Amino acid sequence: MRASKVRLVFWKDWLEVKRNWQILLPVIVIPFMFAVVLPILVMAIPSLSPVSTSQQEDPASLIRALPDDVSQELQGMTAQQALVYIMSLYFFAPFFLVVPLMASSVIASDSFAGEKERKTMETLFATPLSDGELFLGKVLVAFVPSMVVTVVSFLVYSTIVNMVSYVTLSRILLPNTVWILLIFGVAPEIALAGIGLTVMISTRVKGFREAQQISALLLIPILMLVFGQLSGAMLLGPAVVAWLIAVFGILDVLLFQIGIRTFKREEILSKIA
Amino acid sequence: MPRIEADALTKRFGSLTAVDRLSFDVKEGEVFGLLGPNGAGKTTTVRMLACLILPSEGSGRVGGHDIIKDSMKIREIVGILTENPSLYDRLTPYENMSFFAQAYGLSDQQQRRSRIRELLDFFNLWERRNDKVGAFSKGMKQKLAIARTLVHEPPILLLDEPTSGLDPESAKEIRDLISSLSQRENHTILLCTHHLEDAERLCSRVMIINRGSRIIIGTPQELRNRTSNKTAIEISLKVYDLRLVQAVEEVEQVSEVTVDKSRGRLVITAEDPDNSTPEIVRRIVYSGGEILSVSIVQPSLEEAYLKFVKG
Repeated sequence: MRASKVRLVFWKDWLEVKRNWQILLPVIVIPFMFAVVLPILVMAIPSLSPVSTSQQEDPASLIRALPDDVSQELQGMTAQQALVYIMSLYFFAPFFLVVPLMASSVIASDSFAGEKERKTMETLFATPLSDGELFLGKVLVAFVPSMVVTVVSFLVYSTIVNMVSYVTLSRILLPNTVWILLIFGVAPEIALAGIGLTVMISTRVKGFREAQQISALLLIPILMLVFGQLSGAMLLGPAVVAWLIAVFGILDVLLFQIGIRTFKREEILSKIA
Repeated sequence: MPRIEADALTKRFGSLTAVDRLSFDVKEGEVFGLLGPNGAGKTTTVRMLACLILPSEGSGRVGGHDIIKDSMKIREIVGILTENPSLYDRLTPYENMSFFAQAYGLSDQQQRRSRIRELLDFFNLWERRNDKVGAFSKGMKQKLAIARTLVHEPPILLLDEPTSGLDPESAKEIRDLISSLSQRENHTILLCTHHLEDAERLCSRVMIINRGSRIIIGTPQELRNRTSNKTAIEISLKVYDLRLVQAVEEVEQVSEVTVDKSRGRLVITAEDPDNSTPEIVRRIVYSGGEILSVSIVQPSLEEAYLKFVKG
């Protein structure tokens, strides 16, 4: 495999992606909502508003719904401090798993299924680029931007959280070990899972939209995490993150094995024919 | 020595046989036409020869390389123009050309720039090199697609409908280019087309296929000769007169005279048109007829094509 050819495919696809607002818009707007708008609405505005009576209340009712180890972390905090702490470190965490999945699936759908839809696949396959070079170039063009967006969103989110926590708790909260594992361990695996699933789907569907819709299936386990956290049934602690790394690692291997097998000129063009 | 060879090439998609035991060869520097109706198997044949899909049976060689074992080598020496222009609409013509030039191995930047400029200049697209291809007309896209096909100077070209979507002037430019590539630069060209005019003007040999099978192969002249229609002599008269028809019928080689009174024209079928024409003209003139024009009309490739395709 020639690195220069992988870079060439990456660059061509990147030029296409960055000129398409249908792709750029969700890739920019959704992370902005998760990293900036929602945290400000949920944490920053209430914490900066005039002192309410709830601040003086004992946070026992809030703490009771949480696992023991988290409850201990909240000992001695006011309700508002506990709210900022829980929201910052736990509530928003699953949303940062949606970002790499959404970004990678949208870009991969355009790169794989979109190329098929626009009927440019045949001339691309007629070049002396190997299946591996084409595959890797296209995987990277979905993976790299989705991780850049995720990491940048995390940095922006951390800044907002730390500003709020410094005001309310007199200390900064991020980054911590769980979030580092989440952003640099789980998020890349989720991005790869999104790409792997999209590659598999793209060989079978007619176009970009269809591929994108089906690959959204991976959102289901992540939404389960969101609702699990909201109900207090589960929190993204070190144990859950370790499990996620293991589960998505295995899923990536499986999806990529199938993806590589299905990404063959013969296979794809026979279906177009 | 043949540059393209197909030996019992077969492609099946499930129960459908798209190409059925197709055998032919294309010699170096030859323009070979592949004719047939939609769904005849032309595109599938080209895809097998371009190593895009594997044959179900049979074998083929392109530029001396086996289409099954040496696919990468074949891709390097073949330029393919597909049915659709297959261009990246969000990229500029220059970016499209540059991508394919690099994909085909033109790594030297100076050489690449110079080749791209040469081709975009030739197709009058240099001034539009930084515009998005998506805004181009169908004809401009087709020109750019042809330029892209030629970017790595491939010795073998597989062209699917190269003049499709082009205005008459541009179509002529492309025909002249194909002719020049074949005659001056010795490119071997396989031309799939519905435009029988293109086949007639450019191809030294043509093959008509239908439902994946070969119907006939030969030079355009050979195919024309195989039709039931014979060469005719058309004579336009200033004034039509029955006596002139009788005079022509008396010529020994003449087998049939058809009269088009409204246009004052005689359509004459004779055994040896080249040799009998002077005698026919002489008889008309001696009989007092005034001739406006004389032409020898051969059956067209279109007539031959329709005859073979319809059976």
